[in-house]
Amino acid sequence: MNKLKLSSRMHVMIIVSAIVIAIGLAVGLICEFVADGYFNYGNEYKSYQSVTVKYSSIYFNEDTVKEVCDKEFKSADISYYASVCGEDKDYYEFRFSNGTKTEKIQSAIEAIDLKISDGTEHPLNFATYHKVNAKLGGGYSLKFGAIALAASVAFQFIYFVIRYRLTAAFAALLADVHNIGIFLSLLAITRVPVGSSVFAFATLTVLMTMIGCSFLFGRVRKNNKDEAFAKLGANEISDTSAQESLFSVCVSAVAFAAVACLALLFLSISALSVAGVLASVFGALFAAIATVYGTSFFIPAVYSRFKRIGDNFLQKHGKKSKK
Amino acid sequence: MGKIKSAIITALLVAAILVLAFFSLFSWNVPDSNGVERYNSFISGIHMGGDLTGEASAVLYPEGVLSAEKYTNGKPDDADKLAEYEGNYKQCGSVYVEKEVLGEDEKAFKDKVSKDAEILSARFGEKGYSSYSVAVQDDFTIKVTVPTNFSYSAYTQKDASARSNETTKISRTVRALSYGGELALINKETGRPNYNYILTNPKVEVTKLFKSVTKIKRSGTNAVKVKLTDLGKSEFAEFTPAIVDATDKTIGFYVGGKQLVGLTISEAITSKTFYISVGDDDSLAQDYAITLASVAKGNALSLNYNPDDDIEIVYLTPALGEHAAIYLGVILLLAVVGAIVFSIVRYKKLGLVNTIMIAIYSLAIIVAMLLIEIQLTVAVAFAAVLGLALMCGANFALFEAVRKETKKGKTMQSAVKSGYKSVLTAILDMHVILIVVALMIALICKGELAACGLVFFIASVASYILYWFTRFMWFVISSPVKDKFKFCGFKREVPLDE
Repeated sequence: MNKLKLSSRMHVMIIVSAIVIAIGLAVGLICEFVADGYFNYGNEYKSYQSVTVKYSSIYFNEDTVKEVCDKEFKSADISYYASVCGEDKDYYEFRFSNGTKTEKIQSAIEAIDLKISDGTEHPLNFATYHKVNAKLGGGYSLKFGAIALAASVAFQFIYFVIRYRLTAAFAALLADVHNIGIFLSLLAITRVPVGSSVFAFATLTVLMTMIGCSFLFGRVRKNNKDEAFAKLGANEISDTSAQESLFSVCVSAVAFAAVACLALLFLSISALSVAGVLASVFGALFAAIATVYGTSFFIPAVYSRFKRIGDNFLQKHGKKSKK
Repeated sequence: MGKIKSAIITALLVAAILVLAFFSLFSWNVPDSNGVERYNSFISGIHMGGDLTGEASAVLYPEGVLSAEKYTNGKPDDADKLAEYEGNYKQCGSVYVEKEVLGEDEKAFKDKVSKDAEILSARFGEKGYSSYSVAVQDDFTIKVTVPTNFSYSAYTQKDASARSNETTKISRTVRALSYGGELALINKETGRPNYNYILTNPKVEVTKLFKSVTKIKRSGTNAVKVKLTDLGKSEFAEFTPAIVDATDKTIGFYVGGKQLVGLTISEAITSKTFYISVGDDDSLAQDYAITLASVAKGNALSLNYNPDDDIEIVYLTPALGEHAAIYLGVILLLAVVGAIVFSIVRYKKLGLVNTIMIAIYSLAIIVAMLLIEIQLTVAVAFAAVLGLALMCGANFALFEAVRKETKKGKTMQSAVKSGYKSVLTAILDMHVILIVVALMIALICKGELAACGLVFFIASVASYILYWFTRFMWFVISSPVKDKFKFCGFKREVPLDE
């Protein structure tokens, strides 16, 4: 008994996907013009203001310096979004977003300097203000990543045309584009920091979609070989195949999502902050969500229509050739 | 297959897995070496990205630009000299710029720094780092951040030499890639004395001589491969015979005023391709190739950075916390344990066959990452997890197909045969697509993406091999078992007419 009536809900699926992508586009475009950019770029690509503190371990240890700085930043009513410390050198860096008032940062620096100064002419402990304008180094990776993904999707399309049917090839192509669109929209909507790892997760989204499509259309092809089954309508074939392949289609994405949840828990403990792990973890989580939704629900629904169009076309042209 | 044969094959395989797992996971100090010599496990030798072991950061100061620290510490004690010293510099934000260097047009200087940052970004991009950033700091300096690429043993400083090798590589790379100025080929003996001993014709642009500069590795030796244009070939054919007869037989490849690399020749260069041997340092050859390729294309830095070669590199703690690598290890271990538990719960003893495959897959990924020196990052770890899910997914699809066949009342042997046949094409097609796509990603992409592609390529190949190995081990382990349906957690539904 087929409980998954996806083909009859094609319009719902299209509306849901269109809404998600439209909201993503709207949020991204608004932020492009009024905020930091289409995506919320992470530390690697973000321009920021920073306070670097160099100190001698003769006078201070790492914790004391951080304590002093935290206190002064609090007094100046400013907060940093990231801090890193040097492993071998006595160095601390606090990063502030570009929106933070520079005067307030400067006043905090003066206060920190007063507290950590050793009072000599050649001071060993001092804080400095910096303004950092990042170059989009990731654009380089993005360019090659986009070329590779386009080549991969084209290869999958050609392979599906040869080994499956043209309708399946179009559906698989749509699945790749749709899932990437959902993935990018979720990133734009949630404003999760986008770092270099996000390109990798976009690639993994396509790979997971390919795994799902192979299972789904493998099942469709097998069912079509069954004469009694092949006589059923496109909707029934699509729904039954989607239901039979649901476990195989979802297993990789669900495992991926489970590991992302584990990563959220453990890496948050490691980083002592949830914000620091958002880029990696949510990248993985969104990849899994986009794949499960796109490959298990959206594509079977749309494929039933593709198949009907394809079958009608074949019937029409088959009749013509017979005549 | 008999009981003994089955037991021997299983025992041998399990023993091999356990031995490999032992060497993969455990490190120890070599006895009688007072803790000096250490055996590092495979896993602790894998290089890791900036998110797990931190980043190295350096600020490049153009000639004539000083940090506040250097400016303050450089102040002379003499009052007259101090006034002169202070008069020579202009404070621009957090840095001090020599007035002579700055000139009248401050904006032009800033534009030069900004353009240089773009060139540097492209040069560092060629290094294939998992992540890196090049930023203009305070309008007058360039801040470069690259991953440390430490292995776990180097990161925890248990292997001091490995750490020192990596830090040396980083500082050398930052230096080599930030060479400022144009390319010039120089020989102090045969070069044109009026043109700073430059070998090439002053009327010919040096950028028109080179077609490409790449790094190659042949039988353990690294070299920079230089391909010349037709014009380059005729130029080299013209000036190299004189060098062969001279005492100094070296062509110095100078970038700015400094020699980047030298080529010693014993015969004239008449072909379009030649090689500059660099020795066994892979990273160094890549650095030279990147900088030479950049300047040969005309992308020379317009300013000279850190002329005293005193680039200070700060090693930063990882953004995901000091123990992020350990936590990631725990996450991956839990993922493996989860897959094993799921297999055993759902497929009973057949799940143990899948457990063996999971163990082999995990070890294959560890060994491959160590040998091919793939940088482990969180995203790469997820690619490995996806590979594990692919392998388990293929096996689960097979097991379900066999279960379906057993429900038709078939014998176990017949059900396995039919089950394999029913999913054969789907599994084959899926692996062909994934192997080709992963290979394309590995070859076309750079950095972390390429690493993900490579790991997934290895994972896909391993998955397909293990898919067939599962059938063999299923047969071997289940041979002595009487109730083969119970072994798999399946139920045979006997047809009414039987």
